[in-house]
Amino acid sequence: MIRSNYRKNYYGYLFIAPFIIGFLVFGLYPLYNTIALSFTNTTMMKANGAFVGLQNFERLFADKTFFTAITNTWTLWLMNFIPQLGIALLLSVWFTNTRLRIKGGGIWRMLFYMPNLLMPSAIAALYFSLFSYYGPVNQFMVRADLLPEAVDFIRSPDVMRGLVVFIQWWMWFGQTTILLMAGMTSISVAVYEAATIDGASIWQMFRYITLPLIKPVMIFILVTSLVGGMQMFDIPFLLTDGRGSPANSILTSNIMMYMKFRSSQGHIGAASSVGVVVFIMTTFVALLIFYLLREKTDKKVKEVRS
Amino acid sequence: MSAETQVSASLITEKKTNYRFRLNLFRIFIYVVLAILLLITIVPVWLLFVNATRSTVEIQQGISLLPSKFLISNYNILLSRGLDLPRGFLNSFVISGLTTVVTVYFSLLAAYSLVVYNYKGKQAIYNFILVLVMIPTQLSIIGFYQYMVKIGLDDSYAALILPTIASAGAVFFGKQYLESIVLTELIDAGRIDGASELGIFHRIMFPIAVPGAFTMGIFAFVGAWNNFFNAFILISSRDKYTMPMLVQTLRGDVYRHEYGAIYLGLAASVIPIIIIYFLFSRYIVNGISMGAVKE
Repeated sequence: MIRSNYRKNYYGYLFIAPFIIGFLVFGLYPLYNTIALSFTNTTMMKANGAFVGLQNFERLFADKTFFTAITNTWTLWLMNFIPQLGIALLLSVWFTNTRLRIKGGGIWRMLFYMPNLLMPSAIAALYFSLFSYYGPVNQFMVRADLLPEAVDFIRSPDVMRGLVVFIQWWMWFGQTTILLMAGMTSISVAVYEAATIDGASIWQMFRYITLPLIKPVMIFILVTSLVGGMQMFDIPFLLTDGRGSPANSILTSNIMMYMKFRSSQGHIGAASSVGVVVFIMTTFVALLIFYLLREKTDKKVKEVRS
Repeated sequence: MSAETQVSASLITEKKTNYRFRLNLFRIFIYVVLAILLLITIVPVWLLFVNATRSTVEIQQGISLLPSKFLISNYNILLSRGLDLPRGFLNSFVISGLTTVVTVYFSLLAAYSLVVYNYKGKQAIYNFILVLVMIPTQLSIIGFYQYMVKIGLDDSYAALILPTIASAGAVFFGKQYLESIVLTELIDAGRIDGASELGIFHRIMFPIAVPGAFTMGIFAFVGAWNNFFNAFILISSRDKYTMPMLVQTLRGDVYRHEYGAIYLGLAASVIPIIIIYFLFSRYIVNGISMGAVKE
């Protein structure tokens, strides 16, 4: 830490004050307001609804659609996260392995990352066009004799679910690769050299050196991806009709929140309760993962040291 | 040389060539996998740009990987159906530009506070910022919306820009960056010269931190440019629509079967980001790496 000038330290408070105030006004108060609204029957029509206790939550938990939305959100996230991490691990091992000497690592990685920066709503609309009945995918499949005739992909729940998973994977595997590579290149080469002298195999090196040492990066990836995944909206919203069609197959919790918000009455109170439940669930799981995995590493270090 | 050593030597060379061969085979396999992944990454985006230049009839006739000459006519179709692309561009640029300035300035200021000064509660504030990175902030959007309606900021860009004063991720990045570059000597020299603390931040720290500020700025810009959800909930006037919101209207009945025009609208919304990326990819890739790896 930098030794600093004795009496000037109160400037520290001044300089961080905009952040704190910004957070209180635009972060914390809206969160409080959302929680407060979730206990009322406020709609767009009447600004100050009456306090209704837990009614919104009771209705929500009695609603099968809500469970479908929660299950969908988890499924869509997990189904893309696992292959995303798998491919990224493979790619980052290949790119950082000194024996393989893969050429143009920087360029590959740059191109793989590109989809991540593209506007998700445009990506969803693009894939909708590509997979539409007269779209390029059908044209290609029919001409290559992979399909006897064009298929209405947009109406197939399985295809649409698979497509959301694929798009999420497509957008994120590059970023995960970059993060894992950053973790792997920060490991000292001497560790691997010592292991080679001890006769460790490539797999053993990966399992007992690389994996434990990139654990902090993996936790970072897991938690940020989870938080993003639980708020999934743009892709499933714009891929079909904005209601999670076909057959609620890609209805996520955020889409459900939006649907309640933009219903004919504009049920702000009910929409808030969706936000509150998902917020609690996500924050709880994210912090749980963070602390569980963190403590384990600390314990191991302590065991080794003692 | 005895026969035995000769045999073992030839065995070793055989083993070596065998190993080389297997390694090369594996390398070929890797390049094939990389090439397939590259195709998966590029082809959809390529088709987007190509189809933006083709007429609807051409698009329905089949796939082409080469551009055609209907760019202008597609654009005219978009305009005639009431899609004000230049307006959306301008709106998105204004919002993204202001968001970038606000995020970079206030996040660096907060990071500077955390790195340079010592005060009570600093560690607690820092830990809190780390927790904020892990919190799903979008989920409080309904409360945020209703609050903006109450204070008259709904349907205004202020509601999209001002919250970025408190960007936890950017402060985290800024702290990592400043720790690697801030020089106590320079700050002390500034103080001896009688510069104010804010003056030191502006005139001494900022010039040194330009690369970091730039990286932070790119992420802020891209994030604001692509942000659909918040704008979709907060903005209602048609003339204030941002690019992602215009993209969303392309799904409507007005453009039914005008595939070329739809592709053009989508292409227009992603092209600034692709240009930014190919110009500054080095900053972006390094920026992502810095966000995650401590020490």
